[in-house]
Amino acid sequence: MPFDQALRFASIWLASTSFIGLTLGAGLPEWLAVLTGAALILALLRNAGGKSIGRLATYTLMSTTGWNLLVIVGFLGFWVDMLWISGELLPAGVHFLMILMIIKLFNLKLRRDYLHLYAISLVAILASGSLTTDLWYLPIFSLYLVVGVWTLLLFQLTKHPEEPRILTMSVAMRPQPLASVSQVTPQFFWLANGLALATFGLTLVIFFTIPRVGAGFYQKGFGENIRTSGFSETVNLGEIGPIKRDPSVVMRVELSDGLPQQAGRLYLRGVAFDQYDGKAWTNRLNYRRVVSEDAAGTFVLRNSRSLATPRLGDTIRQNILLEPLDTPVLFAAPFIERVSGKFPSVQSDLTGSVYLPFPSSSRIEYSVLSRSNSVLPEDLGAEPSVYPESVIRHFLQIPTQPERIAVLAKEITQTQRTIYNKATAIHSFLTHNFRYSLDAPLIEQDQPLEEFLFTRKTGYCEHYATAMVIMLRTIGIPARLVTGFLATEWNEYGNYYVVRQQDAHAWVEVHLPHSGWITMDPTPPSIETRGSGSPAWHALGRMLDTIRLQWGRIFVQYSAADQLAVVRELEAGSTSARNKALDSMSTLFSPFMAMFGGMADYASKGTIQSLAEVLIPTLIGLAVLLWLGIWRPWANGMISKKTTRDEQVIMQLYGRMVRHLARKGIAKLTAMPPLEFVRLTQERWSNASSAVASITELYCRARFGHIPPTREELSLAENHLRDLMTLEKP
Amino acid sequence: MNPTGIIQAIQDNIARVIKGKPQVIEMSIVALLARGHLLLEDVPGVGKTTLAHSLARSLDCSFKRIQFTSDLLPSDIVGVSIFNRQKQAFEFMPGPIFANIVLADEINRTTPKTQSSLLEAMSEAQISFDNKTYPLSQPFMVIATQNPAEYHGTFPLPESQLDRFLMRLRIGYPSPEEEKKVLDRPQSLHPAEELQPLLATHDVLLLQEQVDHVLMEESITDYLLAIVQRTRQSDLLSLGVSTRGALALSRAAKALSLVRGRTYCLPDDIKELAPIVLSHRIMVARAQGLRQRSCEQAERIIQDLVDSIPVPV
Repeated sequence: MPFDQALRFASIWLASTSFIGLTLGAGLPEWLAVLTGAALILALLRNAGGKSIGRLATYTLMSTTGWNLLVIVGFLGFWVDMLWISGELLPAGVHFLMILMIIKLFNLKLRRDYLHLYAISLVAILASGSLTTDLWYLPIFSLYLVVGVWTLLLFQLTKHPEEPRILTMSVAMRPQPLASVSQVTPQFFWLANGLALATFGLTLVIFFTIPRVGAGFYQKGFGENIRTSGFSETVNLGEIGPIKRDPSVVMRVELSDGLPQQAGRLYLRGVAFDQYDGKAWTNRLNYRRVVSEDAAGTFVLRNSRSLATPRLGDTIRQNILLEPLDTPVLFAAPFIERVSGKFPSVQSDLTGSVYLPFPSSSRIEYSVLSRSNSVLPEDLGAEPSVYPESVIRHFLQIPTQPERIAVLAKEITQTQRTIYNKATAIHSFLTHNFRYSLDAPLIEQDQPLEEFLFTRKTGYCEHYATAMVIMLRTIGIPARLVTGFLATEWNEYGNYYVVRQQDAHAWVEVHLPHSGWITMDPTPPSIETRGSGSPAWHALGRMLDTIRLQWGRIFVQYSAADQLAVVRELEAGSTSARNKALDSMSTLFSPFMAMFGGMADYASKGTIQSLAEVLIPTLIGLAVLLWLGIWRPWANGMISKKTTRDEQVIMQLYGRMVRHLARKGIAKLTAMPPLEFVRLTQERWSNASSAVASITELYCRARFGHIPPTREELSLAENHLRDLMTLEKP
Repeated sequence: MNPTGIIQAIQDNIARVIKGKPQVIEMSIVALLARGHLLLEDVPGVGKTTLAHSLARSLDCSFKRIQFTSDLLPSDIVGVSIFNRQKQAFEFMPGPIFANIVLADEINRTTPKTQSSLLEAMSEAQISFDNKTYPLSQPFMVIATQNPAEYHGTFPLPESQLDRFLMRLRIGYPSPEEEKKVLDRPQSLHPAEELQPLLATHDVLLLQEQVDHVLMEESITDYLLAIVQRTRQSDLLSLGVSTRGALALSRAAKALSLVRGRTYCLPDDIKELAPIVLSHRIMVARAQGLRQRSCEQAERIIQDLVDSIPVPV
């Protein structure tokens, strides 16, 4: 492909890459995205040599004044956009940028037009970089980098023909094989890609070493927090239901001790509620206190320790990566003892819920040490005993409602003696006699609880939990409603739970005199609705999620503190740093390893369908690679054309000789072959001719015969050249 | 066998007869090694026939000469079938074309029918007669001559047939000193007769094979194609060089490299050969005035074209 055509192609690709980045990052309006895409495709087709398209394009071309007018209109549109439509500088600027790009694409004539296009695409890719922290930005940006290197190289190389030849002599002598050929050769291809790779490597080094300030300046205005429900001061009954179909990821919970004993289920406690008015739950104990911080930067919750009697529950260590939510609640397994993370302060209320001072606008990571309560033997045998006054005041409140519920509760528990057994009786009554359903529009009902218990007998977690709390309270057992998430989706590749909006859940905490608050969940396990699709796709999805998580960890959240850590690691010793690097590499790539393992698994299971699902994309990928590698013209002659170092040395020597002779007034014209030049030298400067002849011979042998000179010949040639330099021309 | 030494010896051998024309001798050997045919275009009496004769003598090859006249028939070249009384059957009597080196003297004096019978033999290296095919002996080389000065009663060869000749050479008058040496020589014997053969036919075939192994670097091929391309685009020419012409230039360049003792081609080879290999394959546009078939003019146009094309560095 000739250089100028390659340059046009590369330029349009550059613009396309930045356009794709911006479309994915900023969410352009559809009409603008379609318009820009169409302009890019048209420009590409025009370059590909479609004659009819070229003719079409010439029809649509306007005069320069017309285009200039369009730019002015676009600029006015930008102001209108900024002031009234978008109302913000950045989106309006991005829209204007796309308009400019379209206009430039139709006006690629002069070299400065190309420069303008590059500037626009650079601004676009930077804008999309500051608007997003998603994983897709990595391949787009890598592509941009490669195409960018290509474009700039080609731009530089096509520069010469257009410039006026000021000095024919100097142009004639410049030993520039690439420019003289003016074709994209295999060497050029690999040179460009190698340069791009080197640039990328260098950027990576800079990324990890140069101090960083903040991340994503404009990110805040654009990235919207995930809207949650069930964690505010007041929660209407039935509020959680509608979000049970939303699969967006809310958090990821890493367990440092591996899978918990209760395989596959982890309760992540959010907020507890004490007051129920027949329709909505309210948290009256919402007085928040600042949690004190110990020397190591860990926040220790004291009230949980003082309230309860000393007990020996299991501890769970969790690392939680919380997406930006609209609630300041910090979720964790019950009950939180210690929290550590990069927060300035942490607050807690009297129910043991933990909050940040305000909702975080970016993803946060924190680790928690939780200790669950277990039922102590004293409670198994004891008769109802006296509760502390504070517990009675808050957790025995009942709204005014029909007697039926109290009667029902008494009926269920009349054979039981102990508090714990009464609670389990109600629990099993609810679990066995009611059906789980999300299609229960109980929210409009006057008495939703009665409707649930006596009429419909279907509902979801909130109804179950509310029913259990109220029934317990009518027979004098303190209980409260808790909202949070129930994590069930275990990612075996990254060893963490993926928690989604649809995992939002409500359950019950029952107070036992000796053991304290015990978690009970009356909701029966729902029928798995996630099982659609084959296991292979699910494995793939979990794998991708792992990669996304690591991307967020290693690149997006990489901060100055992490840099400091890296520097310390480096100081600590190169071996440990290398280990760490290897570790992080293996973490990043372990999903692929696991994928191979998984493929082997499927193969051994003999599930032909899922095997095909894995194999077909692999085969298509291989075919594309083969096509790129074999059928492309640049693959030809890649092996045969090797220039050895010695050959290059003699070619450089020859170039120096030619330049020296030109300074002495013997110029080598472009159309002058080497031996003719030797004869010319002989006529003009006979003293020099022997040296020139011998260097030329070695050069010709190496350049055109691919016979590299020996060491002796090289040193001889160098001597000749040195003699030539000192020789005086008469 | 050292090819360079042998080739040099042949050149020296011929130079004993053809005085002061080393370039012409060299090019005729190039044509032989490139398995090509030679067209000598010059005024009578400058040694065209002598050159052909000396070449054949130096090579220990069979040599036949055909004087082309307007009444020459194809059978006079190819051969005839004669009834053999003893065998009671027709017998093919091979004509003068069955030789290693054939001199076709004044080729433009005969009719197109006869010309084409020769030209067919040149491109196919075989003769078809009476439904039988007779291969010609190898090496096979035709050296044709024509006289540019006289046009009365000639049948000029069309471009398509001229294309079959690898190169067209002009011998030119020798310098006065060289001419004096010619005159000083004893006149009793034909000068070519005293030459001794230096190379067996088998060795000629070996040398021709070696030409195939000469390396032509890609940039030189590009250079060659650029020249060919330029002839097709030039306003001065109404007909450019064909692909066969490009092939001929490539072969000739390889043969010249071998003659000069190299295993690879140089841009110099292309540049030097372009006028003599390409000039008879082009048609000068009428706008250029002058006589259309001016040999010198065509060569000069080619030379100018080549001088404007950058050489690979």
